[in-house]
Amino acid sequence: MQTIKLMHMYPNMLDLYGDSGNVEIIKYRCKMRDIDLEVSSHVIGDDTADFSRYDIIYLGGGADLEQQILAEDLLKCKDAISDAYKKGTFFLMICGGYQLMGQYYKDSNGEKIPGLGLFDYYTAASTDKGKRCIGNIVIKATLDGEEYNVIGFENHGGQTQNVTSPFGTVLAGNGNCFSSKTEGYMEPSVVATYLHGPLLSKNPKLCDYIINYVMTRKTGEKYTAQPINDKLEEECRQQLFERLLK
Amino acid sequence: MGLKNGLTIFFGKMMVKVLRLIGKDAGNAPGLVLWTLNKDCLKAFKVECPIIAVTGTNGKTSVTNYLNHIFTSGDKKDLKIITNKQGNNLDTGICSLLLGECDFHGRVKADYLVLETDESHVPVIYSKLKLETLVVLNFFRDQLDRNGEVETLILKVKKFLETYEGNLVLNADDPNVARLGLANPNNKNVHYFSVERYSGATDQPYEVGEGKYCPFCNSKLEYEYYQYSHIGKFRCPNCDFGSARPEVVIKDVDLQAPSFVIDGEKYKPSHNSIYYIYNLGAVYTASKLYNISKDVLHDTFEHFEVNNGRLEVFEVAGSKLLVNLAKNPVGANMTLRVMNEHPGEKELLFVLNDNLADGHDVSWIWDINFSVFKDVTRVVTSGSRAYDIAIRIKCSGYDPDKIVVKPDLDRAMESFFSTVGDKFAIANYTAIQPTRAAIRRYKEGTEDAND
Repeated sequence: MQTIKLMHMYPNMLDLYGDSGNVEIIKYRCKMRDIDLEVSSHVIGDDTADFSRYDIIYLGGGADLEQQILAEDLLKCKDAISDAYKKGTFFLMICGGYQLMGQYYKDSNGEKIPGLGLFDYYTAASTDKGKRCIGNIVIKATLDGEEYNVIGFENHGGQTQNVTSPFGTVLAGNGNCFSSKTEGYMEPSVVATYLHGPLLSKNPKLCDYIINYVMTRKTGEKYTAQPINDKLEEECRQQLFERLLK
Repeated sequence: MGLKNGLTIFFGKMMVKVLRLIGKDAGNAPGLVLWTLNKDCLKAFKVECPIIAVTGTNGKTSVTNYLNHIFTSGDKKDLKIITNKQGNNLDTGICSLLLGECDFHGRVKADYLVLETDESHVPVIYSKLKLETLVVLNFFRDQLDRNGEVETLILKVKKFLETYEGNLVLNADDPNVARLGLANPNNKNVHYFSVERYSGATDQPYEVGEGKYCPFCNSKLEYEYYQYSHIGKFRCPNCDFGSARPEVVIKDVDLQAPSFVIDGEKYKPSHNSIYYIYNLGAVYTASKLYNISKDVLHDTFEHFEVNNGRLEVFEVAGSKLLVNLAKNPVGANMTLRVMNEHPGEKELLFVLNDNLADGHDVSWIWDINFSVFKDVTRVVTSGSRAYDIAIRIKCSGYDPDKIVVKPDLDRAMESFFSTVGDKFAIANYTAIQPTRAAIRRYKEGTEDAND
């Protein structure tokens, strides 16, 4: 049996909107393909591990307070994380995790939290705490050359700008900023997004895209995850597209 | 009464009268209109009796109903209590309630007002109506898209409490609540309650929780044990937080009996869930402030039922069904605990809506711990987000072939009751009343058919 190693960063702090569900879904979909997902975690104060040992690095979303508290620790991991990124580890980042990998995040109290600077984008939230992008969202992404509608729920005060390669174009909802055309950030080995819900629950092909990427990289051969029973997911998507894309 | 206040009340009363004349239940509308016209409209009411408010994420409706029952029990049957039993707990709802009850001068005549109050509305309402007692039960993550982050909500209530000097009944075992006792160091009327470790408590957290860090010094809180979620015996290793001496301590909790001991007396409650016992702790502590007799408390704890979708029992077509409202992960986890502790095979119905009052965001279902399913032979899901909850349960490792999705409630009931046995139902906020109605419709339908 193959094993995929996932590093869950700050699971006790970046877990605002059921974000740990993404790990549960990856684990489930791996298991259905006879792949074992081994989950490790990094919390504040842990030694800076060799992050390139992991196949996937995952960061969820958190409240402003938690992001403030963990920022310092995250900066200590900067070299190890960018080493993993350069070597091709897959990065999945939601909301706060997305923001912290950019240049900086200026929170709703006006406090500037430095990001890891892995990517060029930067984020600033309105100091009016009531001004947030909240609601169901559908974006059109391209996975392995195929268009795929990704459904989720966004709830963020942060407005992210200077995104060179977005995750998708917005079909319904806000995206990176209020009424923006684009959402998230993507490279072949990176998906960074404001979509929770959790993200992977209603987008099984996105989860399989990650599994395919990781397995292909590990084995050196093109890997395509075998279809599994996704009847519930398909019906769910159908129902929501009808509702949200009218 | 000032001219503006006088006009406000006059206009409001007329509105209620007209609505009643045309046969409409006044509901929330008059309060909403009044609030829009005059943001200070609550100041126009003259309330001379004590106001008791109950707030917190979970248990507000139950505790309010218990207090209402207790205040009119024993030798106090003639007392007039004004209360929002149905959980109409926002500023506009409470405004509508008072409009319906007051005279044309805005006078509200009652012995007590017992008001369930939404956490985020506590400051706006009680900066205008004089509050005598505030009961705070707990703070959990709940409808984040509507309420914002839990911390924001707590800070709102804390700010109000900084100048509040009335009675404050607080759950000492919830760090999010206990911290409020320090909001106003001059308030001498802070009363904490606590529940001693029970058999289901764990050394490590079992369900998702908030309040992992000390609100005063950001140190990680240390727990001796967790009763459920982040409720338990905690203390901050760095500062004194967590050292408050509770005035009411529930001891010897025995969920099998069920029974517990307070102030040396044994009580036999009608339900056996730990979160329900915390609710009774709050009820007891508030009752103490109003010299309620022990006989009334014994009788209430043993016999009173809130029903209304709160641990409500139905007998349908040979099956026994327990229905419980769950608006957030902690509420759902509690029902799953009750279900798992129930011996033998059972089936679960989960009704999930995503209407405005539920919060449009249903991602909270991923914080429910479904991996603990024990002897659950089938799951039926329903509501506008029936598929979301089905996927959630599937990804916890449950066989998708045992999940039946029926977004329409009546179809869901047909499927749910197609087998006979022990059943449990969880429904979220806007789903609970339609679920109860659908159960009754199904029950009546089958009983008619058997006539």
